[in-house]
Amino acid sequence: MGVEFEPRVIAFMCNWCTYAGADNAGVARIPSPANILPIRVMCSGRVSPEMVLRAFRAGADGVLVMGCHLGDCHYDSGNHRTIKRIPLLRNLLSYAGINPERLELVWVSASEAPRFAQVTTAFVEKIRQLGPLSQEVTE
Amino acid sequence: MIEELRRIVEERLSALDGVVALRRTPEGVAPFVFRKGDDLSELEIAPKYPLMTVVSRLHKAFPDIRLGVVARGCDERAYIEMAKRNQIDPARLSIIGFACTAEEAQECYCATPYPQQLLVGTPPPPGPVNPIVAEYDALPLAERRAFWKRHFSRCIKCYGCRNICPECFCEACAMEDAAWVEPGLLAPPFPVFHLIRAMHMASRCIACRECEHACPAHIPLTVLYDLMRRDMETLVGYLPGTDISAPPPLSVKLDQAPLRMSGVGE
Repeated sequence: MGVEFEPRVIAFMCNWCTYAGADNAGVARIPSPANILPIRVMCSGRVSPEMVLRAFRAGADGVLVMGCHLGDCHYDSGNHRTIKRIPLLRNLLSYAGINPERLELVWVSASEAPRFAQVTTAFVEKIRQLGPLSQEVTE
Repeated sequence: MIEELRRIVEERLSALDGVVALRRTPEGVAPFVFRKGDDLSELEIAPKYPLMTVVSRLHKAFPDIRLGVVARGCDERAYIEMAKRNQIDPARLSIIGFACTAEEAQECYCATPYPQQLLVGTPPPPGPVNPIVAEYDALPLAERRAFWKRHFSRCIKCYGCRNICPECFCEACAMEDAAWVEPGLLAPPFPVFHLIRAMHMASRCIACRECEHACPAHIPLTVLYDLMRRDMETLVGYLPGTDISAPPPLSVKLDQAPLRMSGVGE
């Protein structure tokens, strides 16, 4: 003990909205947590349940799926799939005994740099409170 | 009841290339395509077997074949989900439906132990909800985890659950992809292997219980799938195996399968 727990968070970000929003947060010098490991995907609808489960398996303590707001999808309706898939996967995690709060879906547009910083900071803090995932899975 | 089924099959055979059903031989009971002139006294209805998988294979292998099938409620539900995903051609299939017994409905925790196209038998009362499912929401996370660890640790990764499933027909299976499931681990890593399957079952599982019957390790898989069925109904009002005209909800736009809950993604 003594070493403070630093959450590892994998964030899947859609190329067209959230990734640009994260970029703009950096350009505008709005601080966001370094705990976030970004993975750029072409659409939040591309994020399969397998990808989320692998992120957890690879040691993520939390997973964010981030994409365009409904109606703004670059591919018209990719995020229509995301919005159904992620709540189901959250439920499924909870049925397996994993805290569903470790997975979150958030819409962040390219112009929402402050929102990007705010939601990532809040999520990292939430995961910090929950503690490491390994504690849950290996015990 | 079985005499009446045999009579209907004989009638239908005059207009069909064959009828898929179970047949008793000295070696046991197995799926069979009865054709005109075959001995229908060999036709059986038990033990339960997912015959729609056989129908699907025949439809794909013989593009002109016109079939009948002797079907239970779960067979018809399997057909509904398979037809809308292009695995069975409804125009080339005639369903000869019969009702399960009350004991079977109990054993399967079956809510609808009879097909919509019911020709033989009377609908028995629905079976109860699996008691583990009924109590599940009250279980704390740690107990859920302990429950599944205990069961999943017995998994020998035989893929029996997937192979028997009428709704598992993908040509490339995520559960065999080394990117998602590391090869060479027994039992497969908790809980990835089983959650992938549960997630893929979400809009498809028609509660036939075949996976659980097939499982040599007696893993209560349908507890997980029943919960997912319930959630699909809550999320978009979709109960797999009910409505052949309802599109698969996870692959269509929100206007075709609107969310029934709010607050997602905000």
